[in-house]
Amino acid sequence: MGTALLHTDPTIISYTIAAVALPLFAALINFCLPVKSKAAGWISTLTILVGCVLSAMVFAAVWNRQPLHTQTLWFTIGNTKVFAGILLNNLSAMMLLLVSLIALPVHIYSTAYMKHDDRYSRYFTYLSFFCFSMLGLVVVDSLVLFYAFWELVGFSSYLLIGFWFTRDKAVQANKKAFIMNRIGDIGLLSAIIILFAQFHTFDIATLFINDNLVFKSAIHDGLWISASGQIPAVWQYVACIGVFMAVAVKSAQFPLHTWLPDAMEGPTSVSALIHAATMVAAGVFLLGRVYPLFTDSELTVLAVIGCFTAFMAATIALTQNDLKRVLAYSTISQLGYMILAMGVGAYGSSLFHLATHAFFKCLLFLVAGVVIHEMQHIREENDLDIDPQNIQYMGGLRKKLPLTFIVAIVGSLALIGIPLTSGYLSKDGILIQAFEWSEGRSAWLKLIPAGALFTSWLTAFYVSRLIVKVFFGEFRLLKHHPDIKLHISDGGWQYRVPLILLAVCSLFPLFSLNPFFYEKAWLFESLKPAEFMARENIYHTIIPIGVNILSVFVMYAAYAIYVKRNTFSFPQTGFFYRLSYNQWYLDKIYKKVIVKPILGLGKTCFWFDRNIIDGLIHSIERLSRKVADLTAWCDKYIVDGFLHLMAALVQSIGNFARKFQNGKVQYYLYSMLLIVLVLFILKILI
Amino acid sequence: MITLTDFLLVGALLFCTGMYMIVSKRNSIQVLIGIELMLNAAILNLVAFGKYDKLNNGGQVFALFAIVLAAATTAVALAIVLNVYRRYKTIDPDEIKNLRD
Amino acid sequence: MNLLTLLIFIPVLFALVIVLLPSSVRGSFKYITLLATLLQLGISIAIYLNFKTGAATAGINHEDQFQFVQKLPWIALNLGSMGKMQIDYFVGIDGISVTLLVMSALVMVVATLASWEIKSNLKGFFLLFLLLDMAVMGVFCALDFFLFYLFYELMLLPLYFLIGMWGGVRREYAAIKFFLYTLFGSVFMLLVMVGLYLSVNDPATGSHTFNIIQMMNPANYAQGSVFSVAAHQTILGMPARTVGFVVLFIAFAIKVPVVPLHTWLPDAHVEAPTPVSIILAGVLLKIGGYGIIRICLGIFPEIASSGAFWLGLIGVVSILYGACNALAQRDLKRMIAYSSVSHMGFVLLGIASQTAEGVSGAVMQMISHGFLSSMLFFLVGVVYNRVHDRDIYHFRGLGTQMPQYTAFVMVAFFASLGLPGFSAFVAEAFTLAGTFKSPTVNGLLPYWMAVCGSVGILLGAAYFLWTLQRMFFGKVSLKGGEVWKIALTDVSIREKLALIPLAAAALALGLMPSLVFGKINDSVLALIQFLQAK
Repeated sequence: MGTALLHTDPTIISYTIAAVALPLFAALINFCLPVKSKAAGWISTLTILVGCVLSAMVFAAVWNRQPLHTQTLWFTIGNTKVFAGILLNNLSAMMLLLVSLIALPVHIYSTAYMKHDDRYSRYFTYLSFFCFSMLGLVVVDSLVLFYAFWELVGFSSYLLIGFWFTRDKAVQANKKAFIMNRIGDIGLLSAIIILFAQFHTFDIATLFINDNLVFKSAIHDGLWISASGQIPAVWQYVACIGVFMAVAVKSAQFPLHTWLPDAMEGPTSVSALIHAATMVAAGVFLLGRVYPLFTDSELTVLAVIGCFTAFMAATIALTQNDLKRVLAYSTISQLGYMILAMGVGAYGSSLFHLATHAFFKCLLFLVAGVVIHEMQHIREENDLDIDPQNIQYMGGLRKKLPLTFIVAIVGSLALIGIPLTSGYLSKDGILIQAFEWSEGRSAWLKLIPAGALFTSWLTAFYVSRLIVKVFFGEFRLLKHHPDIKLHISDGGWQYRVPLILLAVCSLFPLFSLNPFFYEKAWLFESLKPAEFMARENIYHTIIPIGVNILSVFVMYAAYAIYVKRNTFSFPQTGFFYRLSYNQWYLDKIYKKVIVKPILGLGKTCFWFDRNIIDGLIHSIERLSRKVADLTAWCDKYIVDGFLHLMAALVQSIGNFARKFQNGKVQYYLYSMLLIVLVLFILKILI
Repeated sequence: MITLTDFLLVGALLFCTGMYMIVSKRNSIQVLIGIELMLNAAILNLVAFGKYDKLNNGGQVFALFAIVLAAATTAVALAIVLNVYRRYKTIDPDEIKNLRD
Repeated sequence: MNLLTLLIFIPVLFALVIVLLPSSVRGSFKYITLLATLLQLGISIAIYLNFKTGAATAGINHEDQFQFVQKLPWIALNLGSMGKMQIDYFVGIDGISVTLLVMSALVMVVATLASWEIKSNLKGFFLLFLLLDMAVMGVFCALDFFLFYLFYELMLLPLYFLIGMWGGVRREYAAIKFFLYTLFGSVFMLLVMVGLYLSVNDPATGSHTFNIIQMMNPANYAQGSVFSVAAHQTILGMPARTVGFVVLFIAFAIKVPVVPLHTWLPDAHVEAPTPVSIILAGVLLKIGGYGIIRICLGIFPEIASSGAFWLGLIGVVSILYGACNALAQRDLKRMIAYSSVSHMGFVLLGIASQTAEGVSGAVMQMISHGFLSSMLFFLVGVVYNRVHDRDIYHFRGLGTQMPQYTAFVMVAFFASLGLPGFSAFVAEAFTLAGTFKSPTVNGLLPYWMAVCGSVGILLGAAYFLWTLQRMFFGKVSLKGGEVWKIALTDVSIREKLALIPLAAAALALGLMPSLVFGKINDSVLALIQFLQAK
């Protein structure tokens, strides 16, 4: 993050574009292929391989050099020019390489893992599309494009979670994932709009890097003032909340994390790539991109939430029996560490942990994939009714799956943070810096590093529990079904190569030649903030030693509980057990407090529409009909009635008169006589 | 002694009888007779009043004239009655209502 | 021959052909109509390509800056002491109308393709269809208020019959509701039109005029006339110009439609046959938005500014209220109808912001919604034609049964809920950006409106995804059982021909928004300048 001038290099730019666009190209080709075509897997894998090589070249050219930035006019709206471009600095170059590097083994693994699926080419279409979105996300320079790719990432994740769309659980999970992602999206969109209104640009480089407009802006007297204008300060907070919402959803932070465990309904290879290593890291990446936006107090909030998430997820992971769910909660927990690190200003450590975590978590998921695959195999071969992901049925698999066992151990140790692994380097960095940060702050804030420390022991426990339950002891399925046949193995090279590759990457040498001091890691050195504290205080020694010694005890305790005394376990009725097992009841609370009211609101609105608005319309209609009826009545009985009365009068007079003309001569004479007589009498009388 | 008043009384009686016959009889011939009676009442009056014109005997002369005329009208009327009968097969004046509207 | 005149009256020519043909060749009517709409599309594209951009051709309030203008004296009556009555046939377009023309022409083609489902009284149907087509095009081009009003009313009649005769079970109710609603608006519009006519003098001839562009210039109003800017006349104790604005706004707001004047829309859509739904959603609703920009904002700019808060508020309420209602629906078509209410709320919000981003976003949203709602209604028609049911709960697992159909539905749904890459995203994002910018630029709208508007995007995702999950995913389970299973075949070639252009248009506008923004930008800037100058 220098303020150096940006430069452009056409070759590197074209490499970057190629690395991003190739997966899209593969997705398009695969989309046109027949659904079962096996070529799809190789097309996708090939493009990602090429992309990987290109990314490595880009990385080599950009790392620790001046940021590279190029842009072209996309469209003009009003007087605003919206540019599309590429911005490569240390952060994005690292992410570009990381995503390609993780995607490659997952692709290879998938060609075997999805071999028997009916919609094989669709899978690779979606997978390639995801890679395109993710790679696009990390290199773009405009917030509009960033948002676009941000949402495309969510969309491809939606497609992949619901890949087996005939399963109800899967489609409910992907709906939940997308809608929750949408919550983050509107947060991000609001933040982008606020930044645009304040700074009149969408350009990340202008906003955060070379001009660093955001950093230069300040809050005075309730106004957020920048060079280009001022808006009420509250919108600076809203922008931060918006960004935080986006981060919290994508990186599964409390309280918006609940989609991630459900997202495990997707194929395991997808979980490995998207929901462990890359997409969920996008939130941390976003934080890295817009870091100057956050003020000190906002960062503290981040730290608190990160710490709480880490702790909460770890407690949930303690009791889950679904293999993937445990890993999902451990992912949430580790992401909590990253957010915590961002919050305490350990920018470099956070990204460092992101990188190391990507490798070992992807590795663990692929291991889980192998195990689940084999359990599925057993289930189908013996026609059993078991959940292939339930660790209660597993055990003793280390003899059946030796390679898987070894790499799983490597991954787990990295996750726990035992020395010689990459996880040790990055996690220690976070813990140490968290303690340093808490010095001189209030006692409450001291809870943050303490919580992180405690969480790391919890991590050690649940990881050990998982490993022990899966790989040690006896195969528990045999107890229930003693006569089943077992034909399971580590699988072909498409399984072995990715596992080995990722296991090697989870060890320290990739990141640092010194296995004990995180400051020496090259990745960290390039990403660390300028005001980094040198290795001077006591934390740097005490914490690694303390953490690891206790971790070893915890691991042994777990081993002891779950292997040696197989029958013993925690009381399963206690409050804490239930809280953990039910995932802190968050899903149920959300359903009650948010989903139901919103659906109710929809129903109310519709009722309002039907009965009030339409009712009003209908009553106007009825009223006017009543008025019309009334006028019709008046017309019929009053106006017409008068006319009819006159007519009837005339008619009755006529009828009376015509009675005299009855054609009888005598009658005429008679009446004549009468009249004469009457006249005569009258004459006499008067 | 027969006075003028007696003549006039008989004339009036005759006239009333004729008038009654005209308005009440269901037979055209009887109606005709009624007319004759009324004419005769008039003639009787003429003759009775003739005593005031002894020089010219105007009363008697007019009476004779009226008797002749009455004979003529009766002849015409009877012819009409015959024609009416031929056309309507009745001579009841009530039945012949062609004058009605 | 003027291209615009040709564009407007081509449908009438073809309608004449249909009138003259005997009913024995009724099978050919749809092809004749298709030919007419295709020709129209060709002409509209030619107009689009030849449309000149630049500040010198911005249009709005400069008569000489309009393009493809044709002005012919039409009705000229000498009224003695009352002066001369002067009504012109005056058509012309600027940036605001040109893109709407192309969109409407494409939607008309699709609507024709959807008319294949009509089986009864073909002659009448296609005659009314073509008449409607003419009126719609006319509205977008007319620059004489009288002509505008004529076309505006001319749309009503065919629609009434199209819904009332070829509609569903409650078609009479829906048709009369639609008719009365719209008539209610336009009758009062007539009064304001006459008032404007009597207030405005053509500076060239000195007589009263219906010329919309002359009405935009305050100097053209006669002294002391009812709508004169300087005179401050009142009607029923309220300022006359405010009354005029409100009346015109209500007339157009019914068309848009905005809450609470929207309840004709769900009923009309549910009962209308597919092609009519497509035209209704794709084109008719845009006339409301177009009218607000061209007439309400153009003639009463100062009222539009002082009332901007209320316009924005109505927009936000429409967005949220429409979305909430869509959540509660189980009839697929009704759900989409309510989603239209929600999406059109963005148009009003963008217009109310009176910023370049907001108005451009609003126009973009109109275009985008034109394509996407047509696509959505067409898709509903596909399934309704096959089984005559569209209750969301009666279907499940259509993804297995009709994979290509489901793919189209997913494209339409995701495009509608604002997935980047499709036009709705650009439209909604910039509408909101413009709205948020408004307080700092012109102080018309408060900041929170943009935030509330964005919640509509979230709810949009909720109802579309719920429908996808409920209807298309999961295991196949249909209310009609095996009969439906046989009836529900995948989309045919004709249907694909209708759907692909719409999807492609939405995608193209999402990737290259300059296709629209490039053409409208100068006009929008001119409009903003005009509004600020007032």
